[in-house]
Amino acid sequence: MKISTKLALAATTAMFGTAAFGEAHSTYTIGITQNNVGVDSYQTTYEQAFIAAAEANDNVDVVVLDAGGDVARQIAQMEDLIQQEVDAIIIWPTNGEAVIPAVRKASQAEIPVIVTNSNIAEQGFDFVASFSGPDNITQGSRSAEIMCDRFKDLGIESEAQVVQISGQPGYTTAIERAQGFEERLPEVCPDVTLVETQPGDWNREKSQQVMEAFLVKYDDIDGVYSGDDNMGVGALNAALAAGRAEGITFVGATNFAVGYEAMGRGEYWGSIYQSPVDDAEAALQTAIDVLDGEDVPFLNYFDTPKITQDNMDEFTKPVF
Amino acid sequence: MAELTRKGLGGFLARQGILVAFAVFMIAFAVANPRFIDIDNVFGVIRSSAILGVMALGVTFVVIGGNLDLSVGSMMSFSTIVVLDLHDKIGPTLAIPSMFLMTMALGAFIGILVGYLKLNSLIVTLGMLSAIHGLTLTYSGGKNMDIADKEGTWFAVFGQGGIAGVPMPILMFAALAIILSIILSRTPFGRKVYAVGGNGVAATFSGIPRARVVFMTYLMSSFCVATAGLIQASRSMGSQNTVGQGMELEVLAAVILGGASLLGGAGTIFKTVIGVLILGFIQNGLLLLGLAFYAQYVVTWIIIILAVWLDIAAKRGGLWSRIA
Repeated sequence: MKISTKLALAATTAMFGTAAFGEAHSTYTIGITQNNVGVDSYQTTYEQAFIAAAEANDNVDVVVLDAGGDVARQIAQMEDLIQQEVDAIIIWPTNGEAVIPAVRKASQAEIPVIVTNSNIAEQGFDFVASFSGPDNITQGSRSAEIMCDRFKDLGIESEAQVVQISGQPGYTTAIERAQGFEERLPEVCPDVTLVETQPGDWNREKSQQVMEAFLVKYDDIDGVYSGDDNMGVGALNAALAAGRAEGITFVGATNFAVGYEAMGRGEYWGSIYQSPVDDAEAALQTAIDVLDGEDVPFLNYFDTPKITQDNMDEFTKPVF
Repeated sequence: MAELTRKGLGGFLARQGILVAFAVFMIAFAVANPRFIDIDNVFGVIRSSAILGVMALGVTFVVIGGNLDLSVGSMMSFSTIVVLDLHDKIGPTLAIPSMFLMTMALGAFIGILVGYLKLNSLIVTLGMLSAIHGLTLTYSGGKNMDIADKEGTWFAVFGQGGIAGVPMPILMFAALAIILSIILSRTPFGRKVYAVGGNGVAATFSGIPRARVVFMTYLMSSFCVATAGLIQASRSMGSQNTVGQGMELEVLAAVILGGASLLGGAGTIFKTVIGVLILGFIQNGLLLLGLAFYAQYVVTWIIIILAVWLDIAAKRGGLWSRIA
């Protein structure tokens, strides 16, 4: 803990140094601590877009940090940013509960905190200036609607069986998408049954293994809902290998390039289009609006539309 | 006579406690869900376990030699990402040997640090766990790697191909297990590995080049990791940067579960294979039971500890240790 604090401090000081002395006329210094850059292309693209957006704005300097998925490191980074007296802090929480004390500390130091991408737990809302990101519950319910509409087209809405491969247990995005899906599905397709849910941990290989077990366990699977396309493609691979992909409707979320391509091949039915560039730009803009003293709503959702084989031409292929 | 038979059975149990534990779990899961022993499922589980298994084979050498290797997980991510990236740049024929060379260079580096410089293997490989992960991310720029033209390449053969209905990963796992088992048990090098791990000082005084033996174990481990990365890459034809993350502990668990001593000098390839299969079948069995997934983490480790207990109990002939 001590070592990591020191390391984080050293890293922060180094980055802050270049940021502060690089431009002379800056007005706002905004610090960001990200969840885990490099764990997937979404987060990598997010970081690039964030830096690009900041560079395009002469009034903003940014201190860009990455917690590497480690809660302790993220808390240390929050403390460093508070010490540096940045004007605002953007946090992509590694864990919605554990970071609350650090967020409270920033709020007590009168540094506004903007939560990006995945929100922190509700008991921390008092210390947050604004949340900017996708509405994961809506995403989950939209996925349910995509799946149900497809079942109606196929005429199997009265008997279809669905399995779900969820994201990492304990991760807010995973919980909210699953919740949205599970609540909406019986409303739109009351006769469809969700037979089982298992986590794929946002991991394509893990998800492939889970799907293999599902295929052994259930003779009749009509739909697979995955918490993101990365896992969805893992499930699709398992079904293709077993020769059972033909009759299964695959629906995901966060459309990845691999998912988009699989939709183009007609193997994967639909997903939710979520752009990390929109996500990053929205976060930075929200922070600037807060600092400008504008009236910012607490929940700033950016739109994440449905994408299926039918309308995919309207969207460009995701870069991640 | 009756006593002799019991002694014979007792002796068998003592030698093969882990095998008995494996049989018990298999029967229990099969009773709970008959599909567990469905041939497709069995093949599926062994195929999934093959990646972990190939890595465990190499780590068995390192552990018997008296050292640890915690870097295999991130090294596997590295080889997977590298081979996928090079596939599209220079074609599979060149990409595969290049990847093996790069991965084994990492293994050689660790081998020099632990073997010749005599640094503590726990610290070295723990450091390399992070360092190699950073190297992978630098190499890929954090992006997922995917083979662009998945249909027009023979690269899929290692992960998705098969001979006479047996999936290729299983064949590669089996072939490597047989070869490494012969090296470990039938060659002078194998005996040197046991000697170095059992008592390094005595081995040195017997004229065994300790540093070179340790170096070789790490080189072999990295060869196995490269093979695992090849299977992984070929199986999914695309990968995240974190594909092997956390596998080092599963690999170590399988090796120790197979009865290799963490202090070095004991263990066999065959028992490591059993350890790998136990881990694979437990995870699959719990999935088929449909146990709530939070409970699965707990149950997996309860079963592993039970298996180790059964193994030790069989060896000492009693559930409790007679020495306080």
